Amino acid sequence: MLLLAVVLLVGCAQQEEWDNDQVGNFEALWTIMDEHYSFFDYKQVDWNEIHSRYRALVSNKMTDRELFDICGDMLKELRDGHTNLIASHDVSRYWIWEQWPVNYDERIIDQHYLNFDYKMASGIKYQILTDNFGYMYYGSFSSIIGEGNLDLILSYLATADGLIIDVRDNGGGLLTNVEKLVSRFIDKKTLAGYICHKTGKGHNDVSEPYAYYFEPTKNHIHYLKPVVVLANRSSFSASNNFVSIMKSLDNVTVVGDTTGGGSGLPFTSELPNGWRVRFSSCPVMDPQGKITEFGVTPDVRVDMDEQDRTRDAILDKAIEILTQKTANNL
Amino acid sequence: MMADAKLVKLAEFVVKRMKRFLTYLLVVFALSAMGQERVSMFMVDVGYASIHDSYLTPITYDGLDLAMTYEAMRPTRFSPDKWLWQLQVGADFNYVENDAQNNHLDKLMGDITFDMQRRWKEVIAHRVNLSVGPITQLRAGIIYNPVNSNNTVSVRAHWNVGVTGMASYNTRLWRKPITLRYQAQLPVVGVFFAPEFDESYYEIYLGNHRNLAHLGWWGNRFDMTNYVGADLHLGKTTLRIGYRNRLEHWSVNNLKVHDVSHSIVLGIGTSH
Repeated sequence: MLLLAVVLLVGCAQQEEWDNDQVGNFEALWTIMDEHYSFFDYKQVDWNEIHSRYRALVSNKMTDRELFDICGDMLKELRDGHTNLIASHDVSRYWIWEQWPVNYDERIIDQHYLNFDYKMASGIKYQILTDNFGYMYYGSFSSIIGEGNLDLILSYLATADGLIIDVRDNGGGLLTNVEKLVSRFIDKKTLAGYICHKTGKGHNDVSEPYAYYFEPTKNHIHYLKPVVVLANRSSFSASNNFVSIMKSLDNVTVVGDTTGGGSGLPFTSELPNGWRVRFSSCPVMDPQGKITEFGVTPDVRVDMDEQDRTRDAILDKAIEILTQKTANNL
Repeated sequence: MMADAKLVKLAEFVVKRMKRFLTYLLVVFALSAMGQERVSMFMVDVGYASIHDSYLTPITYDGLDLAMTYEAMRPTRFSPDKWLWQLQVGADFNYVENDAQNNHLDKLMGDITFDMQRRWKEVIAHRVNLSVGPITQLRAGIIYNPVNSNNTVSVRAHWNVGVTGMASYNTRLWRKPITLRYQAQLPVVGVFFAPEFDESYYEIYLGNHRNLAHLGWWGNRFDMTNYVGADLHLGKTTLRIGYRNRLEHWSVNNLKVHDVSHSIVLGIGTSH
């Protein structure tokens, strides 16, 4: 009986095997995506039809670079900035934000708004502008935010009448940094959104959305005056998540362009030849339960004037909004 | 038709051999035992490991197995002639690579195992001792995949109860006393941790703890450790050389794990 159990269980352990040739690697990639990618239905992608179309292009005689290009093109059908095929010679990508208006120029802000005089801590550039509004630029959610650093930043900005948080060109990073930052701008337990995940290999095998909440950080400094968040198409992934949560707060206005999206937590897998594939696996929704895979629209839509090298129209609009809000509060 | 008849004959032969083997195995397992009275031993395992964890990757990795274990065995106070207890505390580390050799996994586990065994001295033959008894084990650790994104770590945690059996034979080699020993540890039921298919640890951190704890039984999980080796007694010191094989297999939430190791065991300690 014991031996039988071993034989049966070892038999069950046989995993999916693909040949390590061009066809085998193509099939591995297609199957991994078929079983793990989470937005097929949301994006109305017929993955079987895509298999038929791209499989016809693959043969064992083609080179690695040719196979890579075909696989990369197949993944682009998903229109997903979180989906990449990673090989030693290249990374396939769908970075649509490269084609949208830039809407951010660090030099203009440094020169004409900060006069090259600013503080930096935890990857956050900050200063009080001449209009007595605070300005924070956070360029990557991968920069770890220290609670002590955040206390020092917010205490420095405490005298400002309003605060501008600029996450333009912030391509994302750690969601725990989103929580750290948002928790300084709330005064009660706040619905931050919903998260779910694939529970099986079928396209519809998805868990019930789980509501998650952020709480105000205890024993640390909070900022509850009017806040404007600046976003552009390159505000992606964790940055997109940050904007979606901040937008739901009463005292926050989002200004600029629609964010870049990327609302699925990416997982990584690999092919027999060692290429890695990253893909959206766990959809994260905004506090209204909406998937923000294609971005968060701003409350006030503004584009920069690319010809004007001295003014940032999005930052100017933020200052105008804060001026109005503080005037109304007087 | 000829092929069918041959197949039936072959199947009958295999079943017959399996029955004989199983009968032998059950006898050994049910009547295991111990040679030495008191053992304290530090062991190092070095060998081969194979890891398949579908949460991290669909590819099976293989490479190095390293382990350190402390083992103590004593007669029980309440019935020293008939019962003994055994304690093992250990940690093991695996460094395994994929076939493409462009990535590796690091696996670090710790475990504590305790059992009590009823023993029979010289029951089958002169100098052969057998023992069998219940065992419980707590084993936990992580596997790290450095190139993954939100599935960069797979946490393993498992508590189980089962059965263990030992057979030992005392003899002499170069005029020195030597104990040859085989031991099998076989968890039967337990509780273990597994996330859902593509559930991120971030979601678990946010508070979603649904469906993480699972009842482990032979329908979804099979673990086994086999050890065979020799203890060479040199005065108060005992040197040990042996072979250990571990198997961890489970399948739940559409995830699959299949880890195997085969290692040489070297040890030093005391037994009397």
